[in-house]
Amino acid sequence: MTTPPVVDSPPVDIAPETPAIELVNVARWYGNVVAVNDITFSLGPGITGLLGPNGAGKTTLLHMLAGFLAPSAGTVRVLGLSPSSDPSVYRRIGLVPERESVYGFLTGFEYVRFNARLQGMRDADAASRVAIERVGLQDAADRAIGTYSKGMRQRAKVAGALVHDPQVLLLDEPFNGMDPRQRLAMMDLLGEMAAAGRTILFSSHILEEVERIGTEILVMVAGRLAASGDFRAIRALMTDRPHMITIRSSDDRKLATVLIAHPAVFAVELQQNAVSVQTAHLSAFRRIIAEASLRAGVRLTEVSPADESLESVFEYLVHR
Amino acid sequence: MIHGSPRSPIRAMPEIFRVTVRQLLGRRRTLLLLLLAALPLLLALVFRLFDRIDVQRYSNSVFDGVLIAIVLPLTAVLFGTGAFGAELDEGTALYLLAKPLPRWAVVLSKAMAAAALTLLLTVGAILAGALVEVIPAGEVGVRATEAYVGATVVGGLCYVAVFVAVSMFTRRALVIGIGYTLIWEGLLSSLLPGIANLSIRQYALGVGDWFVQVGREPARLPPETAVVLSAVVVVAALVLATWRLMHFELSGGTD
Repeated sequence: MTTPPVVDSPPVDIAPETPAIELVNVARWYGNVVAVNDITFSLGPGITGLLGPNGAGKTTLLHMLAGFLAPSAGTVRVLGLSPSSDPSVYRRIGLVPERESVYGFLTGFEYVRFNARLQGMRDADAASRVAIERVGLQDAADRAIGTYSKGMRQRAKVAGALVHDPQVLLLDEPFNGMDPRQRLAMMDLLGEMAAAGRTILFSSHILEEVERIGTEILVMVAGRLAASGDFRAIRALMTDRPHMITIRSSDDRKLATVLIAHPAVFAVELQQNAVSVQTAHLSAFRRIIAEASLRAGVRLTEVSPADESLESVFEYLVHR
Repeated sequence: MIHGSPRSPIRAMPEIFRVTVRQLLGRRRTLLLLLLAALPLLLALVFRLFDRIDVQRYSNSVFDGVLIAIVLPLTAVLFGTGAFGAELDEGTALYLLAKPLPRWAVVLSKAMAAAALTLLLTVGAILAGALVEVIPAGEVGVRATEAYVGATVVGGLCYVAVFVAVSMFTRRALVIGIGYTLIWEGLLSSLLPGIANLSIRQYALGVGDWFVQVGREPARLPPETAVVLSAVVVVAALVLATWRLMHFELSGGTD
């Protein structure tokens, strides 16, 4: 593992009880549209995944943490400071925005060094080389970023964000465009930083990404914090929720009569040309439906989960 | 709590300056500006081909009528609005803003980069034209060249500062800048002499008169007034831009 860069900044004197990230009753609205609604949480060292469907308010939340948006209500504190009014906090924050835009005319190395110099680092060249190595971009470091693939640009952005070894790292959809190998390497890197006591908050709309590295997660839906805490517990909630399944068959009424008698089935509803079933045990239901159709002498033409989108999973968490 | 103010910008300012210069030079419209800047030299060659050296006629028609009136404001508009505008449009401004730097240092570095390019092109254009058609006339030619270089430097600094500030408030800064140049300065200021106090072009001409009047009527503003107003405009524009950056918020969206 590469040694992190030496940062020539004064020691950060934070009271031990001060959380690295703290939001209290934070809301943000644009005109009549509420993007973030009354969110309260605090985070300490470790990796936290900010999970939610597109449009949930994740980016707005990260922009408030990064100081690019002031909250309409509530307070946002990073390392005890208000990021929207005190630029000095940026010595200890690294930010990877979602937008792909980078200075395409700079080489990867020049871009990272630009970040290091803007952080006022004494040996910006050495720190940049270390950061480039940490994201595995050595071979392309002298090429213009404009020639990079999407995944390489993401890695360059990450290198620029961690060149000053920040205490808090905010990443908005950092794995976008990375191939599986790059994704794993980036997850390892974030894991190392978390193990070294850094506070890392990253957003994603992909459950599996969060599952791999985030032990703690925050789930946002429609601007609200739908769930927060240990990933496994929330994952269990997601798995144990009732699943809605739509079935089409040669005789929906007959099939419904058989299915409703089964204990794994919560509810059955006859619809036009279909029967809608709710069950808590998706894998068990696959067996049940096969047996039931045989017993009823009904031919199945379609069995499809009606609510398997991530949005519906999140919606369940909100409404439970 | 973290102690201390934003980090000293000594290492950061040259870096922002360099990156801004590369950013501005990399745009296609810079080629257009190079062509515009070549105009005084081309016209000087044309004057020499068809006539003997005439400092007064060349200065009034080319330096006044083309360079100060058109090339200078257009160059300043494109570089001034591009210095920040492109970063705000493309989203790279976030990399500048997420740094422990005083906002004035960011604004000043950007404005200095735009001003350096503007003055390099426009003062270069004056010197190139003057070498062919003005300086060979002797003392009067040298004085005239000094006057137009002085006017261009002051006018360039004012234009750049104002257009940098405007670009922080609206994405239509380029249109506003061109409109100001063509309509306010080109049309209205000739019809309404009273608005000279609000015309950067008149500041520039006023400063030029400090050196010498090249055969035309005196500028509408006395040199001292022009210098004071220019300084006020530059400082006010940079302060306004800094204030805007301190209160910068990303534009809306619900994600």
